[in-house]
Amino acid sequence: MRGLTAKRILITGGASGIGAATAARFLEERSVVCVLDRDAAARQKILHDLPGLCAALAADVSNLEQVQAAFADAIRLMGGVDVVVNNAGISVRHNFLDITPEEWDKVMAVNLTGMFYVAQTAARHMVERGGGVILQTASTNGMVGQPYYADYNATKAGVIELTKSMALELAPKIRVCAVAPGYVMTPMQRAEYTDEMFAALNAKLPLRRHAKPEEIAALFAFLASDDAQYITGHVYTIDGAEITGGLASR
Amino acid sequence: MQLAGKIAVITGAASGIGRASALLFAREGAVVALADINASAGQHVADEIIQSGGRAFFEPADVTRAADCKRLVERAIREFGRIDTLFNNAGIIRRATVLDLAEVDWDRMMAVNVKSIYLLSREAIPHMQRAGGGAIINMASGWGLAGGAKAAVYCASKGAVVLLTKAMALDHGPQNIRVNCICPGDTDTAMLREEARQLGEDDSRFLAESAKRPLGRVGTPEEIAQAALYLASDASSFVTGTALVVDGGGLAGSR
Repeated sequence: MRGLTAKRILITGGASGIGAATAARFLEERSVVCVLDRDAAARQKILHDLPGLCAALAADVSNLEQVQAAFADAIRLMGGVDVVVNNAGISVRHNFLDITPEEWDKVMAVNLTGMFYVAQTAARHMVERGGGVILQTASTNGMVGQPYYADYNATKAGVIELTKSMALELAPKIRVCAVAPGYVMTPMQRAEYTDEMFAALNAKLPLRRHAKPEEIAALFAFLASDDAQYITGHVYTIDGAEITGGLASR
Repeated sequence: MQLAGKIAVITGAASGIGRASALLFAREGAVVALADINASAGQHVADEIIQSGGRAFFEPADVTRAADCKRLVERAIREFGRIDTLFNNAGIIRRATVLDLAEVDWDRMMAVNVKSIYLLSREAIPHMQRAGGGAIINMASGWGLAGGAKAAVYCASKGAVVLLTKAMALDHGPQNIRVNCICPGDTDTAMLREEARQLGEDDSRFLAESAKRPLGRVGTPEEIAQAALYLASDASSFVTGTALVVDGGGLAGSR
């Protein structure tokens, strides 16, 4: 893809799952990549798996001070940041009736408040230096309902509206897009479903399988590239047609 | 025109001393291949030169990566046919003691400030040899000759540049490749202001402190570029293995 060589990329939640696959893809595109992750073991692992990484920075995105410090580190190490993949997120499978205030606050803090902290920190830097691209991980769960993830779904709907509002305010210098994956076979997903659940679920999906993290990474790479210079303010669904049809299509 | 017809590769060309050198070299008749990790600012410098009637290209590159260095040199050879001067100017700073320094900063700084010289030189030297000679200019620092407070890895990296320069001068002198380095004092660039930020000091106070030297001011990027121009030009044809101090007398002695 065009224009990714030596582009400076910061990926939050970048040490595992979609974030790690995205880091690997940008390295293949000859970009310069820092990942940010709060999980020390995952940071160790990705530094080993991707020796071309510029750095794996420690930060919890729900902590503004940590976000700002890590962003300053990324700027110092790479000389600036051209693209942020605002990707860190958590999900918990639980019944709506059982969600505790603490669980609700935690999911909000990481998925929505954390996304805002990273986005605003990034946007301020990009405004100062004259341009940039911010890509955010939403979800098809931010577009249609799904039982047992009410808190998560609410944050992802929030990410979509945050993306659109940012895109309007930050144009024409900064492009802001969201990617809305459907089911992706990540460690987060692996931990929440049994093999039987996967089989039943895949049978219902038009493409009959989960996405691979690398397939989401490819969309991020395209949206960050110079081939996507007229793309901003929208949400790109990548779900194997999961939410394309309604009940009548099943 | 002191560099008429010469072809120069300049790294870190998007800002500061690199940018000033790119513009000065082009004004003096050189064709310039520019590289930087900051693609938009780097392209802007190349555009400025082309609009003024010069020949230039910009190649985005992280000079710590062998593949990027190889690509840069190959493009310069492909488009311009030869490399007369390699100006290894790219550099970064971290103001910290060894106690405050993160390992990533140590690694990154040694890679950008020192390893990049090795990676680029080993690509460019064979072409210079074939062409009958060339000039390599490495960016060192006054802090490659004397220590500075809260600048442990920076001093270590710049000290390494000074001795790498001398070692390369010995190795490649017989092939008519001159290798020199420049040791600037504090120069009015974004990096100097970045130092103030890293130390948590007020910009104007930091700059006033930096100006305390015999000439009573900090240098301009253009003044350091003039030193690079000399080392790139035939005026310095008998100069190799030297560390040229350009610092307003900062290292001349204590008062």
